[in-house]
Amino acid sequence: MNSILPIAVITFKEGLRRRVLYGVMVASLLLILFAVLISGLFMRDILKVMVDICLSSISLGGLLVPFFLAINLLAGDIENRTIYTLLARNISRSSYILGKFLGLAMLTGIIIIILMIATLVAIYCATLIYPAHNFLHFTLSPLFISTLMAFLGVLVLNSTVLLWCSVTTSSFLATLLTLSTYIIGHSVEDVVRFMNLKNTGVEISPMIQATAKAVLYIFPNLAAFDLKQQAAYSLPFVSQEITLLGLYGLSYISIMLFLAIFFFKRRDLP
Amino acid sequence: MSIFSCNQIHKSYQTGCLKHTRKKALTDVSFQVKQREVFGIIGLNGAGKSTILKIFMAFVKPDKGTVSINDQPVASKGSHQSIGYLPEHPSLYPHLSIKEHLQFGCRVAGLSAQEEKKRIQTALETVDLTEVAKMPIRGFSKGMTQRAALAYTILLKPEILILDEPMSGLDPLGRQLVLDIIQEYHDRGATILFCSHILTDVERICDRIGIMHQGQLVSVVTADSLDKDYVSTSTKGSQTPLEHYFLNTVRTEIS
Repeated sequence: MNSILPIAVITFKEGLRRRVLYGVMVASLLLILFAVLISGLFMRDILKVMVDICLSSISLGGLLVPFFLAINLLAGDIENRTIYTLLARNISRSSYILGKFLGLAMLTGIIIIILMIATLVAIYCATLIYPAHNFLHFTLSPLFISTLMAFLGVLVLNSTVLLWCSVTTSSFLATLLTLSTYIIGHSVEDVVRFMNLKNTGVEISPMIQATAKAVLYIFPNLAAFDLKQQAAYSLPFVSQEITLLGLYGLSYISIMLFLAIFFFKRRDLP
Repeated sequence: MSIFSCNQIHKSYQTGCLKHTRKKALTDVSFQVKQREVFGIIGLNGAGKSTILKIFMAFVKPDKGTVSINDQPVASKGSHQSIGYLPEHPSLYPHLSIKEHLQFGCRVAGLSAQEEKKRIQTALETVDLTEVAKMPIRGFSKGMTQRAALAYTILLKPEILILDEPMSGLDPLGRQLVLDIIQEYHDRGATILFCSHILTDVERICDRIGIMHQGQLVSVVTADSLDKDYVSTSTKGSQTPLEHYFLNTVRTEIS
């Protein structure tokens, strides 16, 4: 278990040097400029539009990690056989998985922190340009809570990447499965909600309803971590809901990591 | 005392699009390697040489049979404590430097900062990469990468070495360097298991040599008996004793 931190650090360093971070820096600067300029077009909703754009950018920036870095750093390790270099050092496979997850979490964290700083700078710039009454209801806590939950959502997706990389042999397949998880995770709740509606005029067989419900429980409900709307309207969060959401995220991550370790321990690395 | 021991190991891989066919990689392979011995495995491509080494490293699990290192099953915790492994195509993180890789190796082993510095310096000097210690691996030539991987392998001065084609991709100077390192470790009392295609190198450094063919260990000879056998045969042309023995053995197996 002593090897988890060195693996996390080596993953973090390798991820940082893949120039993705430079891309994020450029994107964050553009974000500042874009959010400040465009929000002026929305007369009464300047703050809402700004927060909305900024939080969308944070989510997008966070998603760079599972889609562009995590799969490369994990499936790439197996495909390029860099994993031999690590495992040959008497490192257990469970430490490898946990170290990788921690390294990816650090990468996600640093990207989200940079984008969060960019967001705060953008809001500060907007207060200098636009009339003060637009920002009367602005509070920082919804913005922070929403960002924290977006971070947790990305960590959930990172943990599914680890699972897919543990059971598949190609990075392409892992990417495809991660993409499917992302799409299902963002839409399944709406699908189930629609099915539960009465008087929709659509006949849905009980089997399809049961399947959709099963999918809702199996796949992560990523839409739940999207709190942009509440933050944009500066709506107060119910602490109980946030706690439950946090617990849901952490439990889901634990289950995914457990499964990833379970499968990874049993697979051959030819 | 046996350091490496494998007993009746069988291994097959699932192949094909739907993994519906099985390809035999190893069939009933048994051998032991004693302490301080250098055991070389040679064979044609696909003979199963690397699979054996990967089974010893617990990267691949055998379908049947028992495998142990230092009398401990390979899957047990701590069985790879004092092993240095060099894979066939060593792959390091391209954006990190060799120094960072070596730091990682030291940190995993829990060495002190002072010891870490000393070990890194020694490893870099041994493979002659001190000047490029901070350069990212992606800027390295194939030979340099091979030497960097070797530095990583010997970083903790292991008592057991598992080397998979250690000389591949190296120029004559690099090859000599690797041979010197193996010889140094042999003199120091290390046990070495390695496979190679370069028969002259195998002949120079091995105490015993195993010949693999189509997943089977068809012959094990000592370097001494090889010389005697070679002397007693008449026509060899330009072949070395091992080349002669290897080709004869493989031809017999094929026919």
